[in-house]
Amino acid sequence: MARIIDMAAHPAVYAARLLAETGNEVIRIESSQGDSLRRLGPYLGDKPDLEKGAYHQFFNAGKQSLKLNLEAPAARRVVLDLIGTADALIASSPLLLEESEILEANPRLVLIKVINDEPELCAVARSGLLALTGHPGQRPVLLGGHVVYAATGLYVSVAAAGALFCSQLTGQGQVVEVSIRQCLESFVEQAMVDYTSWGQVTERVGYRGAITAVSGAFPCTDGYWMVSVPQSPDGWGKFVDWVQDPVLSADASLVDEAERDAKKDLIVERLGMWSKGFSKIEIVTEAQKRHVPAAPVSTPLDLVDDPQLKARGFLSETDHPDFGRILFPLGAIGSLWGNKLNPAPSLGQQNAKILAELGYKEADIQELVEGGAL
Amino acid sequence: MNHHGQSASSNEKDGSPLAGTRVLDFTHVLAGPFCTRLLADLGADVLKVESATRPERLGSRKTSAGAAPRTREDRAPSFLNTNRSKRSITINLKTEAGRLLARRLAGMADIVVENFSASVMDRLQLGYGDLQPLNPKLIYVSMSGFGHSGPRKSWTSMNMNLQAYTGLMMVTGEEKDPPTAIANSWNDYMGGLHACFGILQALTQRAKSGQGTNIDLSQFECSVSTFGPLLLSSIVNGSTAPRLGNRSMVAAPQGVYRCEGADEWCAISVQNDEQWQAFASALGNPGWARDDRFATVQGRMDAHDELDRLIESWTSRLPKKEVQRCLKEAGVPAERMRRINEVLEGPDGAQVFHPWDDPQGGSTLTTGVPFSFSSSLLSRLRPAPVLGEHTRDALNDWLGLTEVEVRELEDQGGLV
Repeated sequence: MARIIDMAAHPAVYAARLLAETGNEVIRIESSQGDSLRRLGPYLGDKPDLEKGAYHQFFNAGKQSLKLNLEAPAARRVVLDLIGTADALIASSPLLLEESEILEANPRLVLIKVINDEPELCAVARSGLLALTGHPGQRPVLLGGHVVYAATGLYVSVAAAGALFCSQLTGQGQVVEVSIRQCLESFVEQAMVDYTSWGQVTERVGYRGAITAVSGAFPCTDGYWMVSVPQSPDGWGKFVDWVQDPVLSADASLVDEAERDAKKDLIVERLGMWSKGFSKIEIVTEAQKRHVPAAPVSTPLDLVDDPQLKARGFLSETDHPDFGRILFPLGAIGSLWGNKLNPAPSLGQQNAKILAELGYKEADIQELVEGGAL
Repeated sequence: MNHHGQSASSNEKDGSPLAGTRVLDFTHVLAGPFCTRLLADLGADVLKVESATRPERLGSRKTSAGAAPRTREDRAPSFLNTNRSKRSITINLKTEAGRLLARRLAGMADIVVENFSASVMDRLQLGYGDLQPLNPKLIYVSMSGFGHSGPRKSWTSMNMNLQAYTGLMMVTGEEKDPPTAIANSWNDYMGGLHACFGILQALTQRAKSGQGTNIDLSQFECSVSTFGPLLLSSIVNGSTAPRLGNRSMVAAPQGVYRCEGADEWCAISVQNDEQWQAFASALGNPGWARDDRFATVQGRMDAHDELDRLIESWTSRLPKKEVQRCLKEAGVPAERMRRINEVLEGPDGAQVFHPWDDPQGGSTLTTGVPFSFSSSLLSRLRPAPVLGEHTRDALNDWLGLTEVEVRELEDQGGLV
């Protein structure tokens, strides 16, 4: 188990959460005001509260919080002392301390520097991801839920875990740089390949036709469901057997995917009429039984009691100090590792414990208070 | 020596994090191959198990004919990009000799990765239960759509269906929008990155415990994790948080604004009051921008619809590059929407794509990794293998088989 210090901003904050999921000790250093993640809604309980931001509660679960007035020189000493005990530091640029100072405090440290220079929406526009998201011809949109920052945090977690593995074998630390800009660019690699191979520019597809000629989201009684009608003639045959639509069944040419592509509008219209009488789960369950790839189009609220997430322990009963017993999203890795995560810490919750561990006596702490560090 | 205490493989001496680590790769399409590409970039010897009789659909340009790709040029460009820096062995898993060979290779591997539907590897007697007794240190990673347990373990999954089921389509866009997707294989990347992280942590823990492990990953759960905050708020609040479209909960105005030309746009994100002042002066301080209501972030949020119309009346008369230039010069974050051709061009174009070390067929560029290490090398961007290109080499350096033994396997039909 490694000790990780987390001074990451939102684009990298998922990395240390993942490291907590695998049982590492993670200490998040926060300023006296608390980090900005705590100010990002929605809030649990719907009222702005530094302790109840949903992003803070999810991404900082399993971590400890050390609150310091990072402006005060005395606080830097505490940070350096803590760095001396750590295996890795994940920090967003600009770093609070000089890199040389950090490495002097701990030459065996894995220092992960996360470089980011733009707000989320602008970074997404520059990367090419914005041009892929939304409906054809309409205003392009940012992926919701700040999910691109979870994705960039994942790259940070891979870089950190790779360097930690290395350091365990060699006994040596190193500096790892992660470029958030490049992380985002990497996710448009399919468009890059299509453009550099065939000169084809990938455009937004909305919610239809992204996979096979007939694929997309269709309305049903309680929202939408998603289906990809298989490309193969056999797959189409089985599909029309199920749908029993007279127009589709009568047109033998539709057995060919290219024909289906040409007559997509008609097929989509017929399917939309057919499926609107079913509920999401009813039609998707039947499709899956027939080996037709289909899924409900969920809102997060639809997933709160999802049977698959519950059965595998992804949603796990947790006693939360503010909300009592709730089903908590443990995470895709944490649920496999079998580690319970403590609820996200209150601001500075572990101050006393961490300072004592670092060997600070009452007089030292008094000095820190007087120096404005605490 | 590799981490297994066996003979060195070719990349061991290059000082990369996973030098000497052997990955037996049964993955196909994208989530799995993307994970194993990352392992290859970190220096692992990734041996991709392919079938000459049933080549991966995406592995060949001749998809309808189903013919085996004989050269690299016969492979689809997307396959070449996803499978670069790996080696290829052909094994016929339909034969007993082929399955036996796969088990012997797994016995020498540090990591097995597969992304078949649940139960496929068990049917081939290549499940964790089959391989663990042969190799207790093995890290065995399954990355199926829904995992190997639970009521929906047999559900078929695809990227778009996961974009739907995980909530991505209903948190993206504005409140009244229909489901909104991204036109790439977003979920495959989420699955692949989680798997790679899990593998690296399992390797670290194995170095201490000496024990292997079984990682039964669910791609669905990987993507749901990335929406963890919104799921948690739905659990506690009993309602779904509003869809924000392009807006921010902490900064305003923020949006994607129409510019001159068809379907051309520029993203603007005013982070604070100081930037708002800079924004107003960049526009020449029009009367509306001096409205007191807009002086604070709360005021700008309250009047966001009105503000959007006013801003767009300015942006829509200008080319997107001009909007971007004008605002950036004033210190206001702004970026034009770039399509892929624009992402790749110019001195400020993408940094993560690199020319192939050995370009042969397909795209001229390949994806690198978005990180660098100060004292470990990352692997060169080596080309994707030709089908079965390394069958003999791998049988030799993983198993020490002689030419006679390889021929025997061929005669038994195990290597096609």
